[in-house]
Amino acid sequence: MFLIYLDNSATTRPLPEVAAYIAEELSGEESYGNPGSLHRLGYLAEKKQKAASETIGKILGCLPEEIYYTSCGSESVNTAIRGYVHANKRAGRHIISTHTEHKATLESLKFLEESGYEVTYLHVGRDGKPDLSELEEAIRPDTALLTFTHVNNETGAILPIAEIDRIRRRKNPNTKIHLDCVQSLGKLPIRLSDMGVDLASFSGHKIHSAKGSGVLFAKKNCRISPLILGGGQQRGIRSGTESVYLSGAFALALSLAEKSREESYLRVTMLKKKLSEGLTDLGATVLSPDDALPYVVNVSFPNFEAETMLHALEEKDIFVSTVSACSSKQKKISYVLLAMGIDMNLSKNAVRFSFSRFNTSEEIERTVLSIHEVYNKYSVKRG
Amino acid sequence: MTSNTDHEIVILARMGEIALKGLNRGRFEHQLISNLQYRLRQLGNFHIFQSQSRLWIEPKNAPDEVNPSSFAADMSMAKSCLTAVTEVFGIVSASLVWKFEGGFEEISAQALAFVEDLLSVKKYKTFKVESRRGDKRFPMDSPAICTELGGRILEAFPELTVDVHNPEFTFYVEIREFNYLYIEKIYGHRGLPVGTAGKGMLLLSGGIDSPVAGYMMASRGMKLEAVYFHSYPYTSERAKEKVIDLAKIVSHYAGSMVLHVVDFTAIQLELYNNSPQDMLTITMRRVMFQIAEGLARKSGCKALITGESLGQVASQTLEAICLTDEVAKMPVFRPLIGTDKDDTTLIARRIGTFETSILPYEDCCTVFVAKHPKTRPLRVDMDHAEKNLNIEELVEKGLAGVESIKI
Repeated sequence: MFLIYLDNSATTRPLPEVAAYIAEELSGEESYGNPGSLHRLGYLAEKKQKAASETIGKILGCLPEEIYYTSCGSESVNTAIRGYVHANKRAGRHIISTHTEHKATLESLKFLEESGYEVTYLHVGRDGKPDLSELEEAIRPDTALLTFTHVNNETGAILPIAEIDRIRRRKNPNTKIHLDCVQSLGKLPIRLSDMGVDLASFSGHKIHSAKGSGVLFAKKNCRISPLILGGGQQRGIRSGTESVYLSGAFALALSLAEKSREESYLRVTMLKKKLSEGLTDLGATVLSPDDALPYVVNVSFPNFEAETMLHALEEKDIFVSTVSACSSKQKKISYVLLAMGIDMNLSKNAVRFSFSRFNTSEEIERTVLSIHEVYNKYSVKRG
Repeated sequence: MTSNTDHEIVILARMGEIALKGLNRGRFEHQLISNLQYRLRQLGNFHIFQSQSRLWIEPKNAPDEVNPSSFAADMSMAKSCLTAVTEVFGIVSASLVWKFEGGFEEISAQALAFVEDLLSVKKYKTFKVESRRGDKRFPMDSPAICTELGGRILEAFPELTVDVHNPEFTFYVEIREFNYLYIEKIYGHRGLPVGTAGKGMLLLSGGIDSPVAGYMMASRGMKLEAVYFHSYPYTSERAKEKVIDLAKIVSHYAGSMVLHVVDFTAIQLELYNNSPQDMLTITMRRVMFQIAEGLARKSGCKALITGESLGQVASQTLEAICLTDEVAKMPVFRPLIGTDKDDTTLIARRIGTFETSILPYEDCCTVFVAKHPKTRPLRVDMDHAEKNLNIEELVEKGLAGVESIKI
């Protein structure tokens, strides 16, 4: 039996095409040059790096020179948020965000709060979306930045970015928007220039490329300061010798995702439906909003600890995830679910299933069946 | 090395209460030497011997070796050895020592070289000399050696002054069949050599207490085996890995041991479904004790060891302990029974188990912990709790599903 991987929001399996490409680039006789070198090997490397940016730019609707390569999604987020406010001190000392952001954002904001920035955290509804009337009121003349997540990593909730852009234009057109697109990349259409986004963060390993690769988009007129100083590579925004094969792998993985994006979306929507329906007789509650990205399904199982479900499924070679850890000492419950106003008991037992475009209907059938088996074998009734 | 005169560097280790053992002393010393050999096996080959109530540890070289190893040539190895020696039970303290032959003039020359070395590393200001004369044929007595040597050091290093009450370093001179110089004593973990007090079965969980309990019994010379009750999928593989890591740390001190991992899931479910909630922990502990004792008998252990501390949790009240001890035929050692949690934590930090113990992977899932367990369970409660259970069968089941890991 093959293993069933349903933890694609954590990471994905690298595509065979990506693995082959990287192997070839690493072993090639002329493919290891430093893009900064003046000789032919350097020139070849630089050309490849540019080609990758062109591919990515075309798909994401931005200029190749608006693309920067980083080591991971977190580095992109850090550079976008901290780099922007550092380079634009006169834009103001106010930032708007929510409590349901990824830790990379929340910790960056905490860091800025400690150095005197003021952050307004908008309330998030049961649908995972920030309260837009609150946003309307919160934007001030000194609001430098709005930072939101395109698709929430725990629930799949999709941000109404078009409305947010409209409000921003109306209230303060100088306020910039950073969008964390780590979970939406390759799954939702992303046209950066049309979306009104000024900064955006991406990660390679969430789209079946290799770990150690992130991308940062920064609009041409949006100045940012680097986090990493050094030889001034990538127009001074991100020093350090470029990893050309990782840039190429990112571009390759993104092209392949884009090619089947729409068709995959429909198929995965069916998978979500199948999974949710298969679990209703257990009294399971789907915590993901109805209009969420179908790739992420957050389900709460009544009277069944999330971590026990995770390990029991792992025993059957099915891999899922949970934020809630089974620990009597520290009750670790998802801050995202709690911020959405979901009941403590439901949040405590929440398990996340996250699909890739390669998951099949048969895999979901086997998963549903296995969950029923696990329930019968391991569920314990509270006396 | 700045010294141009000849000396060797060796480790001097002092034994504590072993010296008080009468006719058995030889057996204790023999065990201690063999434990030292075992502990140092990865650091090199050593000659370890006893002389005048002390142990001496010197690198051993094959006669045909081109580059013989020595502590003098490899000070980092010397320091690792010194630390390792102090972690062996039975050692009270240990020092790195210069060893050489000769009369007072030789001692004086070596002493000046020693102090010069010392001052090149750290700018000391005050010192005193202490001497011991094991060889009574040596023409000067101890006070005379101290005075004369102190004078020569003062003369050679004018930045130093003598402070007999609060010196920054004490310069020790010992005159035996060889002469020895050293300044520092590193304190050891004391106790008795492991292997001189039989073997015990430690009930090891992932918590703070049980590794400390194992360490304490090992410090009284007891060899250990350990048992861990695993209830996957209620607990994760990481919880088991954590217990293996803890066993490894304990074995630094206690020597090699076997960790028995009992597959406890089915038993735990059986207990959960067929006995009252408020007695669950104690019913479970009774089954665990019996499985542990079964394993103990098979492997020649003569006692059980637990990390219980009186009143710490519901299952550690006197009433609960009475009921768990009923099922054990072997003595149950609880070295922490009268110890405060803070003190246990201090020991855990000192022996290096604390950081691993507080990792979040628990040994027992919250589902199996009753909200309001009985703190003063009675005999009748126990009978009632076990009336729907076939305990013997459960114990058999536990003994049948054991994975034994050599640590």
